[in-house]
Amino acid sequence: MNSEELFAKIQAGFPAVERAAIPVKDYLTLRLPAKEQLLPLTKWLRQAGYDYLEMITATDFKGPVDMNGYIRQPNFNPFLPEGATPEIESAATAGFPYKPVIEHLWSFVSISDKTRVFVKLELPREAPSVPTLTGLFKTADWQERETFDLMGVIYEGHPNLTKILTPDFLQGHPLRKDYVHIKDRFDE
Amino acid sequence: MSDIATPPALATSSLKTDQMFINMGPQHPSTHGVLRIALTLEGEVIVKAVPDIGYLHRGTEKLAEVRGYHHCIVLTDRWDYVSAMPNNLVFCLAAEKLLGVKAPARADTLRVVMCEMNRIASHLLFMGTYGIDTGAFTPFLYAFREREMVLDLFEMLCGARLTYNYIRLGGVMTDVTPEWIGRLKEFLVYFKPRLDEYNTLLTFNPIFMARTKGVGCITPQEAVNWGLSGPNLRGSGVNYDARKHDPYCGYETYEFDVPLGEEGSCWDRYYCRVREMRESVRIIEQALAKLPDGPVMAPGVAKVPKPAPGESYAHVEASRGDLGIYLVSDGGISPFRMHVRAPSFVNLAMLEEKLVGMKVADVIAILGSIDIVLGEVDR
Amino acid sequence: MSDASEDNKPAPPDVSPPTPPAASVAKPLPKPALPKPVFPEAKLNHANGRLLTDRFATWPQAIFDSAWSRPSYRMGAGLLAGIVIGLSVMSIFIGELTPWGGKIYALLESLARRQALPAYVAPLVWILIKVLIVLHIILLNGLWAIWWERKISAHIQSRVGPTYAGSPKGWNFHGWAQTAIDGIKLLLKEDITPAAADKWVHALAPAIVVVPCVIAFAPVLFGQNLAAANLDIGTLYIFAFAGITVIGVVMAGWGSGNKYSLLGGLRAAAQIVSYELPRGFSVVPVLMFAGSLDLAVIAKAQEGYWWGVVPKWFVFYPVVGQIAFIIFLIASIAETNRVPFDIPEAESELVGGFHTEYSGMKWSIFFLTEYGYVLLGSLLLATFFMGGGASPLPFVPFTLIPSWLWMLAKAMLMMFVFLWVRWTLPRFRVDQLMDFCWKFLLPWSFANVILAGVYLAFKWA
Repeated sequence: MNSEELFAKIQAGFPAVERAAIPVKDYLTLRLPAKEQLLPLTKWLRQAGYDYLEMITATDFKGPVDMNGYIRQPNFNPFLPEGATPEIESAATAGFPYKPVIEHLWSFVSISDKTRVFVKLELPREAPSVPTLTGLFKTADWQERETFDLMGVIYEGHPNLTKILTPDFLQGHPLRKDYVHIKDRFDE
Repeated sequence: MSDIATPPALATSSLKTDQMFINMGPQHPSTHGVLRIALTLEGEVIVKAVPDIGYLHRGTEKLAEVRGYHHCIVLTDRWDYVSAMPNNLVFCLAAEKLLGVKAPARADTLRVVMCEMNRIASHLLFMGTYGIDTGAFTPFLYAFREREMVLDLFEMLCGARLTYNYIRLGGVMTDVTPEWIGRLKEFLVYFKPRLDEYNTLLTFNPIFMARTKGVGCITPQEAVNWGLSGPNLRGSGVNYDARKHDPYCGYETYEFDVPLGEEGSCWDRYYCRVREMRESVRIIEQALAKLPDGPVMAPGVAKVPKPAPGESYAHVEASRGDLGIYLVSDGGISPFRMHVRAPSFVNLAMLEEKLVGMKVADVIAILGSIDIVLGEVDR
Repeated sequence: MSDASEDNKPAPPDVSPPTPPAASVAKPLPKPALPKPVFPEAKLNHANGRLLTDRFATWPQAIFDSAWSRPSYRMGAGLLAGIVIGLSVMSIFIGELTPWGGKIYALLESLARRQALPAYVAPLVWILIKVLIVLHIILLNGLWAIWWERKISAHIQSRVGPTYAGSPKGWNFHGWAQTAIDGIKLLLKEDITPAAADKWVHALAPAIVVVPCVIAFAPVLFGQNLAAANLDIGTLYIFAFAGITVIGVVMAGWGSGNKYSLLGGLRAAAQIVSYELPRGFSVVPVLMFAGSLDLAVIAKAQEGYWWGVVPKWFVFYPVVGQIAFIIFLIASIAETNRVPFDIPEAESELVGGFHTEYSGMKWSIFFLTEYGYVLLGSLLLATFFMGGGASPLPFVPFTLIPSWLWMLAKAMLMMFVFLWVRWTLPRFRVDQLMDFCWKFLLPWSFANVILAGVYLAFKWA
């Protein structure tokens, strides 16, 4: 079953699911209209042989990263003259459609078919929440905790949705574009 | 396996003892870095195990968002620091997809050679430390004797022994010299018989087999459900190898086998790695035989690349499993978002469930057999 | 002196003598020019334009050439042969040590009689001398065995081990002084008692570990009839005292206030108590053949040769001897808590086991005891199974060598086996260890006792 056949089959079962506007290059990328579609689609994919949940991640499309939030010294190169252009920089690109949206991404692999499918879902930045996949895939446990920790996505029904990578005292979700680091005892 | 996995004595025992809580790590000789496992023990049997990670979290995914594409390769070296070549490679593959650059044939072959050499070095480290974990100190030094040679070759090639930064966007850093190739061939000739030596010394040692066979068994269904990859998945008998399933760098042109385990025990995972070293030697030999002439760097890779907006995903079969990178570009000079699908992180998650009912000594055997690198777990 | 900047007080008058002019000071002798360091010749990788040192000059063929082609190896082998031959020749001149002991005792007695001292003084002093000799044998054995273990482990692991300790003037033969200097370091180390520890138990544990080890050496044979005390029940005595050590180990585990130590102590208790059984029962055939618990009688029973060549050692008794020897060897290794039975220490699981929280001299006492028991095990193996001080061949050059050197050689051979096993095998798991003891060693040692009975019944032995 190549990706075209798969897409046709998914279209038959889930007419609301469409191809994503910006696909992941070389791979079939689907866009979910609403989070209610996630569990049925996942279950269907799992039955269709896509039983290997490879990756769970999310992207914050708010805008360029706020460097002042956490980079202490943009010019860390001591050989640069005073007032030189920062080595590290981050600026908005003209024409890129920044939007206050967190785009969630799952990728499923079919080991027998040697294909993978990416599933995208747009979530509002204020209260991003999706149903958990821990009931279907045990690997979702830690990966969802990671995404929760770093991106702040709430997984409904996750058995143990706690921080995993960042320290307990850290406020906020570091991978959000507007994250501002609050000084703690390890600074200076 | 089932009689080991569940402690029936505990359930029926009328003798009530206090449970003991033990912190294994982050300062412990066998947690392979700064991993902490909070163990609750009933005698020597584990009732509950909670892995605690994040001691080495450096936020490389965030750091990548303010660095140029070339600079990000330096960050990749620091994930799986015992086999950094596949890390370099996977980032370059993802970025090359965004840039629309294709590495020349010679560079592709060299990438394959480096990745396989690094796989040998990494598996040697695993074999040595797994010997120490099970109490045999000697294989460690034999493994390091050979690993040093691989690292010497890397040092000769790119000046670094651990963080290579050798694979670059559009190719590799430098070409190899004929002298270097001669050294590599010498090493291969020397290395092949050593594998049998390791098997005699450790793999088929009855005590070692008693310690690892039938311990920490993972069924294929479990392995797939846990999202395991690399030798951990193949040790359970699931034939999934990114080099075969989604070939990159021309892996489809090489002839090699994918070693599979039978019962998914610690010993199977271990033996998969030992056999993978032999396959790596085969791949390197084929690559050296067909090493094409030509440039090692594709023309037209900018000093400050600005790929068109888009998303890409690349994954390679790294030493520890399926290492993937998801890159989003907004057309700027640095990645808009980089996500690492780190195999060690995903593999480690199963520890919580697998340790229950085991002995304290088995914690080390199972943890060692998953072969994690904390730099990759925490990123 | 001129710290006026600190406050506004007037500076105290300068009372220090005026410094002599610089010219009058004898000029220090010019330092001899250091020889220029010789670096390996740098090579330029022209294709890349970078400087590379050739660190490959030695690998891989040169390392794995025949070792005999290297002069240093031949020299070392010659030296070793020289030491062995020299020691043998020297021992021939010294002869048996037992008459020397008799002479010393006679001297002591005559001295005491001349001074008109009470009758018990001479035996008392003689006992004290013997105790000191045995104590020093244990201490020197620690020095020697640790150095030897380091060298053997190094060569097993394709390393070289200690090479520098000794003297900077070139008397650093294979780092001979390594253990002595290590011992000095351990003496100078801070002695830490953890806050959570039970202070008295923690401090007493090393003493309770080491004292039974020393006491157990009393009836051990160092040659023909060469022992500190001639006990009828020597075998029983040794096993009884060696078993007391486990109390100290459990105390160390409990008193350290560390959970890993506690686990190690509990494991040690289970292990040592279990392995006492096969160890004891494996010797029973020997005792049956010899008909005595006295070590001297056991050694005496193995005198003589079959067909004039094969010594009548118990290890050469077909089947029964070999089984007893192997079981006793395995159980002895288990008793000393060494790999593959080092689960009480289990470095990779329990960090250091029962001695995790020990440092300095207390820790080194544990270490010393371990090597004391290795020596005890080796000497017992030599006595029970290898004829004690008997010569292996009834020819002239061998029979001239006195029994104490043969005993030493056999004990060292057995000690080498201990070290060899230590650096080759992985470690058992706790339950496997117990299974191995109760389900394998113990039944076989029982079967061996029956087999020995059959031998005796048919008068084969």
